[in-house]
Amino acid sequence: MYNSVSYRESSVDFYSLYMQKEQIGRMRNYNLNIAGYNIRIESAEDGPDLVPSQRFRRNIVQIPEYDVCIRVHHGSLKPKDDAERLFVAPYVVEINGYKITRSDNFWSVYRQNGDMLLITNFPESPSGKKAMLKFSFALREWDLWIENAGSETDPLEYPLDGLILYYLTAINSDIMIHASGVYYNGHGYLFSGVSGKGKTTMAMIWDNIGAQVIHDDRLIIRNIDGVFRMYNTPVYKNDIPNNAAIDRIFLIEHGNENKMTLLREASSVSQVIANCIQHNYSQEMIARFLGSVSMMCSKIPVATLSFKPDRSIIEYILRNE
Amino acid sequence: MTDLKAVFSHSPDVVTRKTGDEYVLVPVTNNIADMESLYTLNETGAFIWDLIDGKKNIEEIILRFTREYDIDHRSASEDVISFLNEMSKYLIIKI
Repeated sequence: MYNSVSYRESSVDFYSLYMQKEQIGRMRNYNLNIAGYNIRIESAEDGPDLVPSQRFRRNIVQIPEYDVCIRVHHGSLKPKDDAERLFVAPYVVEINGYKITRSDNFWSVYRQNGDMLLITNFPESPSGKKAMLKFSFALREWDLWIENAGSETDPLEYPLDGLILYYLTAINSDIMIHASGVYYNGHGYLFSGVSGKGKTTMAMIWDNIGAQVIHDDRLIIRNIDGVFRMYNTPVYKNDIPNNAAIDRIFLIEHGNENKMTLLREASSVSQVIANCIQHNYSQEMIARFLGSVSMMCSKIPVATLSFKPDRSIIEYILRNE
Repeated sequence: MTDLKAVFSHSPDVVTRKTGDEYVLVPVTNNIADMESLYTLNETGAFIWDLIDGKKNIEEIILRFTREYDIDHRSASEDVISFLNEMSKYLIIKI
C-alpha cells in the first residue's frame, strides 16, 4: 500500500529562505535527475506552461538524455469501459497519530490494452486539479493529462511525483522504502520503519554528530554495478540530491535500551518488504520485487534495532560494526 | 484422519523466493500480493516445500523427511502433516 508522504516544518535554512524568494518561472520543458533517473517533462503543443515546485529546483539538470519523457496535456482522459482497475488507494491523513480516511478514491491504476493508466487527485491543489498518466513499462514516452491545470501548472504535484518515482523503481527493479539514511565515516546506514518508528529521530541524532543525512523519511535503493545505494528524493523544499552506498540496514523501533538482533536472510527479506512502498498487482512484478529485496538482503546485513533516542545509539552501532 | 495418499502441489497463487536454505512465500489474492501474510520457511520447512511437487503423496514426503533428518516416523508424520495443514490455507492445493 502506498503511504502518503509526510511533511515537516524545516528548521531555518538560509539557502531555502533565499530560494523561496526566487521564482523558477514558466517553462515549456525541463529535465530532472532524481535518484539517478533522468526525467524529461515537456508541455505538448497545446499544453500548459510548466512551473515546477521549489522542491525540484536542485534536481533540474541540463542533460538531454532521458530515461522517461512525460508530455503534459490539458484536459482529461478517462479509462475505457474494458479497462481493468488494478489498484485503488484511499486518501489517508495522519493527525496527532490518528489515521483518518478523507476519500476512498485518491488515486487508482488501470490496465488498458497493454498501457497503464494512473488517475489521481491533488489534495493540495486549490483548483481541483485531476490528472491521468498513460504510461508503459516498455516505452520511454509517457503522456500526462491535467484537468483544471490553468495556463501554468506544477506537473509533479503530490502524489504524482511519488507515484512516477515508484513506477520508475518498479520498472528498474529498484526499491522505494520508508527509511532514513545517513553516511558517517565512510559507512552508509539505513534505518527503516513505518510512521512513528523513529526514522526522523534517528536521522537527527546522526545529524547532530555531523553525519550526512541522505534523507529522514523515504529513500530509493538502487543496485548500481553490484553496490546497493540509497538516494533521496525531493520531498522537502530544501532537499539536496544525495546518495550513498548502504553498509547496514536496521529495522528500527523506539525502546528503553539499545538492542540489535541480526536477522536470518528469509526473515530479513520479509521484514524489509513490510516497509517498502509497493503496489504489486501481477505475479511478475511481485517476483521481480521479491528478487530485488532478496538480493539486497543477501549482500547487506539486516538487523532489528530498538533504540533510545539519544547519542548512545550511535556508540552502540559503531561498537557493533 | 489424514489421507496419506493425498498429493499436493504449490498453489499457482504464490510467489516464492529461495534465499540461502530458506524460502520467502508471498500469497497472491486477485493478483495483489498479500504482504500481510508472508511466510518464511526455515531449512526444514524449505525441505518439505521442495518435496511438494504434485507427484509425491504425503506418505512419500514423510519417508523422505524421516531419512533426511534421521528422526522417528511418528515425529516426522506430525511435523509434515502440521506443515501441510498450515500451508493448505493459502499456499498449496490438493490435486
